[in-house]
Amino acid sequence: MIPVISAKDLGHSFDGRRVLRDISVTVEKGEIFGLIGPSGAGKSTLVRALTGYLQPSEGEVEVLGKRPSTFGPDDRRRLGFMPQDFVLYEDLSVSQNLNFVAGLYGLRLFDRRRAVGEALQFVELWDHRKKRASRISGGMQRRLQLAAAIVHRPELLFFDEPTANLDPVLRHKFWDEFSSLRDQGHTLIITTQYVGEAERCDRIGFLTGGTLLSVGTPQELRRAAFGGELISLSLRGDIGDLGEPLSALERVGRLSEVREESGVSGTISHARLLVEDADIALPKVFRALDSTGASALSADVLIPSFDEVFFRLVQENSRS
Amino acid sequence: MRQPQLLVLLLVGPVLIMAAFAISFRSSNPKPSVVVVVEPGSEGEEIFGRYRELFVSRTKFRGTVESVDAADDLIRSGQIDGAIILPAEPSEAIRKDERATIGVHYSTINPIFGLTVPNRARGLLFDLNDAMVMEGISRQLEEANAAREQVDALDARVDAARAASRALTGDEARRTTAELSESLNALETSLRSIQETAPEERRGEIGDSLRQIQDAQEAVSAIREIQEGEEIQEELARLDASVEALQETLSKVPDASPSVLTNPFRLDLENLAPFQPDIAGFYAPGTLAILIQHVSISLASLSIVRERMSGAYEFFEVSPLSFGQLLLGKFAAYLLVVLTVNAAVAAVMVGPLDVPLNGDPAPFVIAMALLTVSSLGIGFAVSALARSQLQAIQVAMLWLIASGFFSGFLFPLSEMAQPAHAISYFLPATYGIGAFQDVMIRGEGLSRLDVLGLVTISSVSLIAARIFMRRRIS
Repeated sequence: MIPVISAKDLGHSFDGRRVLRDISVTVEKGEIFGLIGPSGAGKSTLVRALTGYLQPSEGEVEVLGKRPSTFGPDDRRRLGFMPQDFVLYEDLSVSQNLNFVAGLYGLRLFDRRRAVGEALQFVELWDHRKKRASRISGGMQRRLQLAAAIVHRPELLFFDEPTANLDPVLRHKFWDEFSSLRDQGHTLIITTQYVGEAERCDRIGFLTGGTLLSVGTPQELRRAAFGGELISLSLRGDIGDLGEPLSALERVGRLSEVREESGVSGTISHARLLVEDADIALPKVFRALDSTGASALSADVLIPSFDEVFFRLVQENSRS
Repeated sequence: MRQPQLLVLLLVGPVLIMAAFAISFRSSNPKPSVVVVVEPGSEGEEIFGRYRELFVSRTKFRGTVESVDAADDLIRSGQIDGAIILPAEPSEAIRKDERATIGVHYSTINPIFGLTVPNRARGLLFDLNDAMVMEGISRQLEEANAAREQVDALDARVDAARAASRALTGDEARRTTAELSESLNALETSLRSIQETAPEERRGEIGDSLRQIQDAQEAVSAIREIQEGEEIQEELARLDASVEALQETLSKVPDASPSVLTNPFRLDLENLAPFQPDIAGFYAPGTLAILIQHVSISLASLSIVRERMSGAYEFFEVSPLSFGQLLLGKFAAYLLVVLTVNAAVAAVMVGPLDVPLNGDPAPFVIAMALLTVSSLGIGFAVSALARSQLQAIQVAMLWLIASGFFSGFLFPLSEMAQPAHAISYFLPATYGIGAFQDVMIRGEGLSRLDVLGLVTISSVSLIAARIFMRRRIS
């Protein structure tokens, strides 16, 4: 299958300062690809290079089979874009703004009315369609901007930090809408600095300092960050008294972060066990503990947060 | 301090404008270009030839023409500023105790700064009267000297006549001459008797004495003839001649009043402009032009930079719109809005405010549209280049200030030097003011220069805006 986006050794400089370097990535049709990284990582610049707004100074990039700099009007109609801020006209009503954008994308009058209606229904702004954009809340303005990006039903959608500064409930709602769009067959490129949102993506690219640290599914990135999967263990007793159980566990995987915790019910030792496959390793863990007579309080597959994953990846990258 | 370009623009821009104005501004009136209308072979032509230097030094002299109509045509076509019409026979008027009239034709609608030709003409009149009075006095002095000599000669003649008369009328003189004559006769008789009886050697001596007596007798006879008045007649005849000469000299002094003799010429100023507005009427077209330019540049200068700063520009750029379409869309919308506003302002001016619109509405609307288009073009170019809205507004304000000084709105460009003219070429208001004044005040159509200027600025600025939009993103 021809990827929707294909970038190879992409780089860009502003006034001699490199803001993107050696970006190589592909995005397949019908997936949510998350570009995740801190502020200033180069996410927006990469999106601009992909939309054709910016001509990259190095490397090659193809979007929908063409170089973005050669896009004509028909190519651009296949793209949708949601910028970071609300950029529509505050003096126009919600539906007038959407009508305007639909007009920009060449929708004819009849199609426009239908498309505007559907987009407003999708972002749940139908009841507010007659309100001036300046009179609706910030969250509604962001949803109106989302509607503007999808009103012409594009194949490929770029969302530049769509959930920035939104409350968690609204952010969740936005991701539900993104998933819905993905399910309808759209391809979505979403930038965010909320690392935790990586969980909602099909694939992720971690970006920092203009460099793409790693690309993959959430699971792949977790595995890449820790070198495998993690099992979390809690055992009763001091670490010094748990020599035999810990040795048995070392035969199943690699122990890390062993620490003890004193409480009213005595001392409890915690440990993380790095294994190749947690589902396969977990029964082996229980058998190893049983064989040594250790008293296990809990043992479960640990799914680390993407904050932790990202932190480790950045650390790895720094070391290398 | 964090925006050095803005700071530089803020400080240097107005300073540069003021410096350019200071360099361009001339405190003295410039010389108007004029022709002199003279009738060939007339006294007026002779006067012009005699005082040509005055005309040349007071004006930019462009030559002479023979008819007033030809001069007026040159004024109306804008080739010259004025015409000085010299009277054919000024002496005739002066002999009638009237000042001779020098006509001055010019054309201006400016009630404040349009007085260059009249002012220069008044100066010329003063010089001309001064020079003519000076020359007249010199000539009169020469003639007075001649008269004085004639009077002296006459006085001598009178003295001679008086002496002769006195001599002739004295009884003693008459008696003396009579007695002298009788004595001479008696002496002659005696000598002739003596001569007949005298020895031969003495007769010669006696003959000499007789000849001397005859001479004396002739002299006495002459004196006696004087007694008959011939010399008096001769002296009287000479006296008559002297009196006649004196009368002739005196006849050359004109019989005119002192005011005419000291100011033989007067001015007759004629402004050929078809309509001469009052101050408010004169400034109304300029105000409208400046207003249209400023509204257009200010609005347009914010349009692109505002959307670029907000991110809307990026949103549009990802859409199927090309830069040209984006610019065209903005241009059409702003043109409609600004033209509507301008039309309303113009309607209020011409209606309730009673500002004259002497020309056709069609060229007025065309001028308004061209001025709006060119100003929007500059605004878009500024907006595409500006790094912030503040910078864009600052440039728009500088354009307004420059227009106040260099577009001919406050000060006529014809009375300013460089670099004012060079700057004026880049200001739509320069052409807008000219076009509005032509249509609203003079009641004429649009001049080719104004149309060409506005079309050129429109084309160049819109193309520049299109190029700058692309470059700024790159």
